[in-house]
Amino acid sequence: MNETNLIRAGRLVILLAIQVFILNHVHIVGYITPLLMGYMLICFQSGVSRIGLLVWGFLAGLMFDIFSGTAGMASAGCTLLAMMQPALLRAFAPHDADDHFVPCIRTMGFGKYFTYAFLCMFVLHAVFYLLDAFTLHDWPMTLASVGGGTLVATLLCIFTELLVRKKRH
Amino acid sequence: MQNLVDFLVHYKHWFVFLLLEAISLLGLFSFDGYQKHVYFTTANGMVGSIYSAVSSVTSYLQLQTVNRELEADNERMRKQIVVLREKLRAVETNSTQRVNGLPLEYSLVSAQVVNATLHRNNNLITINRGSADGIKPEMGVVCSRGVVGVVHLVSTHYSIVMPLLNEQCKISCRLRRSEYFGTLEWRRGRVDVTWVTGIPRHAKVKKNEVVETNGYSDIFPPGIPIGYVMKIGDSADGMSYLLKVGLFTPFQTLREVSVITNYTQPERRELEELADSLNASLNN
Repeated sequence: MNETNLIRAGRLVILLAIQVFILNHVHIVGYITPLLMGYMLICFQSGVSRIGLLVWGFLAGLMFDIFSGTAGMASAGCTLLAMMQPALLRAFAPHDADDHFVPCIRTMGFGKYFTYAFLCMFVLHAVFYLLDAFTLHDWPMTLASVGGGTLVATLLCIFTELLVRKKRH
Repeated sequence: MQNLVDFLVHYKHWFVFLLLEAISLLGLFSFDGYQKHVYFTTANGMVGSIYSAVSSVTSYLQLQTVNRELEADNERMRKQIVVLREKLRAVETNSTQRVNGLPLEYSLVSAQVVNATLHRNNNLITINRGSADGIKPEMGVVCSRGVVGVVHLVSTHYSIVMPLLNEQCKISCRLRRSEYFGTLEWRRGRVDVTWVTGIPRHAKVKKNEVVETNGYSDIFPPGIPIGYVMKIGDSADGMSYLLKVGLFTPFQTLREVSVITNYTQPERRELEELADSLNASLNN
């Protein structure tokens, strides 16, 4: 395990702790729970092995599932997000970005980073809440959960990004 | 082969993705929770729908066989109906049957009219049941519509019935609604009309009111319909009504009749005869 993977593992543990101990107990208007675990995958730089990214995504989701009792919902969402992340990053990365481009507000600009993070979070929340509901019977509630969770999680992403990057730089 | 290997290597992340998703979903459905329940319910529903569709098609294809079987069944049942109808007819001739207005406890012997006169003063009807069938004189004869007459003479296998269409036949009757009683008498002429005398003037008689037996004689039980009031008139002495009554019994087409065999009450008759004889001796 090289340093990069060590950092990723540390990021995973911290995010998992925040998610499990804090965010899992947050239920905005009764049913919106943000899934900050997605931030783990949003941070992945471009040029990472696709399979490695998929495994990290699956592991992140699996950890979440194990500690939250959600049995497969987060791992399915995180795996799909890991599959789509390179394409989304490519879509919003600057034209002159190199092969190991790190997605952040500084490199992408606030607007593009926000959109990128929002779409990533949307994929994760959509899969998670659709599997959670597992029916379209109460679709307004599902839609509200997906939309609300995505928005709150994106804002938390931005907040974390601002906090972490500020310290780093 | 090389192309296949290249293809697999090129798209290996897709296979990994599908594998990981499959593991995730497997975990989701293996967990004994809501999703598993919904999955199995939906899956069962879908499989049920498919089975139902297959069953519909199979049933449709088997219709020809089913039709043949039904046709065979129908044929068998038609034959059975003929046999049973014959048996029923045989049983009916020696058993009780329901007659309009007649309580079930009365025992009836069915008979068929074999001869009848309708246009004399004293018409008579011949039926194909006699003393061998338990028929005795003075028994009442009815049909499904109402009263027919009274058994007059009996041989072993035949009986002569004095119908309502006989000037000698006088039957005690009453109006169903007001229960005023009178006597039914026939006068030569129409075979569907008879007359009731003796209804007092103060009785309120209405047209179309039903006239029925009143049970005063020991021939007919009370309540057997006879006819309906067609016209209300006065008797010759003006002391009572003379009612024109349309008969319920279709004498011109009469075929099936029944004889009431268990209504005759010998004890009552003996007592009444004794009273009559005492009256006669007192008068003398």
